[in-house]
Amino acid sequence: MTDPLAALLGPRLWRGGGATPGPAAVSTGFRRLDERLPGGGWPRAALTEILVPEAGVGEIRLLLPALRTLAAERPEAPRWIAWLAPPHLPYAPALAAAGLDSSRMLVVRPQAGFDRLWVMEQALGSGACAAVLGWAETAGDTAMRRLVLAAEEGQAPGFLFRPLCHRDEPSPAALRLLLRAHDDGLDIEILKCRGGMPARVDRLPVH
Amino acid sequence: MREERPADPAPALAPAPLPASAPAARRAPLALVPPRAAPAAGIAARELWLAAHFARLPLEALLPQTSPARAAAVIDAGDPRRAVVCCNERAARQGIVPGMALAGALARVPGLRVEERQPAAEAALLDRLARWALQFTPMVSLEPPATVLAEVRGSLDLFGGAMALCRRGLSSLSGSGLGASLAIAPTPRAALWLARAGLGLTVTRTDALPGLAARLPLACLQWPAETVAALAELGIRNLAELLRLPRAGFAARFGPQRLDELDAGLGRRPEPRRRHLVPERFDERLALSCEAVTAAALQPALERLLANLEAFLRARACGISGMRLDLLHRARVPTRLRLALARAASDAGPLRELLRERLARCPLPASVTGLRLRSAALLPQAPRAASLLERGRSADLEATARLLDRLRARLGRQAVFGVRPVAEHRPERAWRIVEPGGGTAILWPASAPPRPLWMLAEPQPFADWDGVQISGPERIETGWWDGHDVRRDYYVAWTRAGVRLWIFRERPPGDGWFLHGVFG
Repeated sequence: MTDPLAALLGPRLWRGGGATPGPAAVSTGFRRLDERLPGGGWPRAALTEILVPEAGVGEIRLLLPALRTLAAERPEAPRWIAWLAPPHLPYAPALAAAGLDSSRMLVVRPQAGFDRLWVMEQALGSGACAAVLGWAETAGDTAMRRLVLAAEEGQAPGFLFRPLCHRDEPSPAALRLLLRAHDDGLDIEILKCRGGMPARVDRLPVH
Repeated sequence: MREERPADPAPALAPAPLPASAPAARRAPLALVPPRAAPAAGIAARELWLAAHFARLPLEALLPQTSPARAAAVIDAGDPRRAVVCCNERAARQGIVPGMALAGALARVPGLRVEERQPAAEAALLDRLARWALQFTPMVSLEPPATVLAEVRGSLDLFGGAMALCRRGLSSLSGSGLGASLAIAPTPRAALWLARAGLGLTVTRTDALPGLAARLPLACLQWPAETVAALAELGIRNLAELLRLPRAGFAARFGPQRLDELDAGLGRRPEPRRRHLVPERFDERLALSCEAVTAAALQPALERLLANLEAFLRARACGISGMRLDLLHRARVPTRLRLALARAASDAGPLRELLRERLARCPLPASVTGLRLRSAALLPQAPRAASLLERGRSADLEATARLLDRLRARLGRQAVFGVRPVAEHRPERAWRIVEPGGGTAILWPASAPPRPLWMLAEPQPFADWDGVQISGPERIETGWWDGHDVRRDYYVAWTRAGVRLWIFRERPPGDGWFLHGVFG
């Protein structure tokens, strides 16, 4: 990292952020974002919480490169990419155009009022998913902790999308992002990241 | 129903006497009935076949409980004329006949209820009828689409003779509402002909068969329409006239297999039949020693049934892909829980877990007096892989299947699905809901116009134009041939919040804009 502060201080001063090895990660596909994340990408076997002002700001486009990488791993025993309670239906032609094998998609749309986090916990803990994308309005602290544990147990990256209003609540997720959309890209605010520091990435062009 | 007894000297049923006149005698060696093979009179046939023909099976498979008050008919969806395959009695009385085009049938009976033929339902019904035939003999053979054959020679004494057996068969079918025609003959093919002709005869001697030929119309052979038409041109309307044709010429014109078929029917040629095997199932009941009112109280009994099931499957090296658990109540229909597995299982572990989920979701309507566990058909299953590497792979496959089963047990089958793209220009038809993991990956052209990652189930009216910029259009104008034509101009719209939307308006431009997708 070519940080002017690091150059000034040199190797004599121990700095917390750099020393803690981040969790194993999968590249986000965006260099500017990878640089800000410990381990250089989305944490594997951990929960990432993404706060969005409304559905459709570009949150899926942000994940697409990583989903491509994750889906292509272990071709001998392909695993699901699970979409749990998405706000709309994932559109198969667009997924195919983005290079994702639609036969590996698992869409779950539980009835209204059903415990969505239970579904997400099952998917994360099963070891059958290459990635788990979940949408939930409310999530209690206990349920969130269970998700974190399930992600560790099933060795699966989980992405939980929640509305912006949960910004100030504490969260056990390994990584918390806040997205804001603009004409020329996404503003990403890293609210929390285990083994790293809060940071911002402005105007990330996601296509 | 009349019985043709071997001792009955009825002249019409005796083997066709060879004409004494010279021209006919010259022709006789060439006729379809070779005179040499007629067996000695009085020798009973070694086999006797019962044929049960269900002429209205396509209809009865679809509408088991229709009231006979309404005319109904079944058509074949693949047939360009959409000809009537079969119809119920009321429709027949109003002048509908099988083979009539649908348009003609509707012109005759405007209120006709029309259903499309469903081969799967027909096969399932025929399978059930095979089980019915198993009450007479273990040797049952199916003649799809609508006939069951059973070799009953050995069972005649048990049932008191051929006629008594037929009567018993008809009476046991009478409650089902199925229109059956039964016949007994020494060869399976002849029994088939007699049953299709609806003559209701029991023939116990092979040499009586040629004499019956005059009463069998060509239709009972169920040959292709063009063959029947060609024979009709020759002036042939029944089997007796057919049997008078020269053998060599007949074989050359209509094919040797047709000749073989006739020979098989008359007992000149053996016709081995394929035996219908009923798949083995696990089916066990267990009465509870004391009535259970909660799902938890059922667990010990369920454990015992599952342990028995596991032993049953292991002994046969088989797995099952589904099962049914009936909770029996004192004076009530049983509560039925059906389980379908994504992958055949041979041990009780995943079944136990799924049953617990289902039981937890299912409120008990009354106290439970007993349990009945019935498996789906057994599937042969390869023994567990012993190699370390193989084991890892199969464990992964099992994990994917187990996740599906667990989610479906809790959420219902419809809530868990996969998606698949379809090569189609209309956006709402360019994808399909499939079984998870179903559908092959298709290559999507990278140069195709952009498509949103989210699709709305139905296009929504779009009116919030505050600060929206649009680019486009992409014109989609297709589908006029199937009545769902689409004429739209699609635009990509950016809202002030930075959300990219996919909106369209109909062509020619009206004032309505619709939101169809979100780029996500």
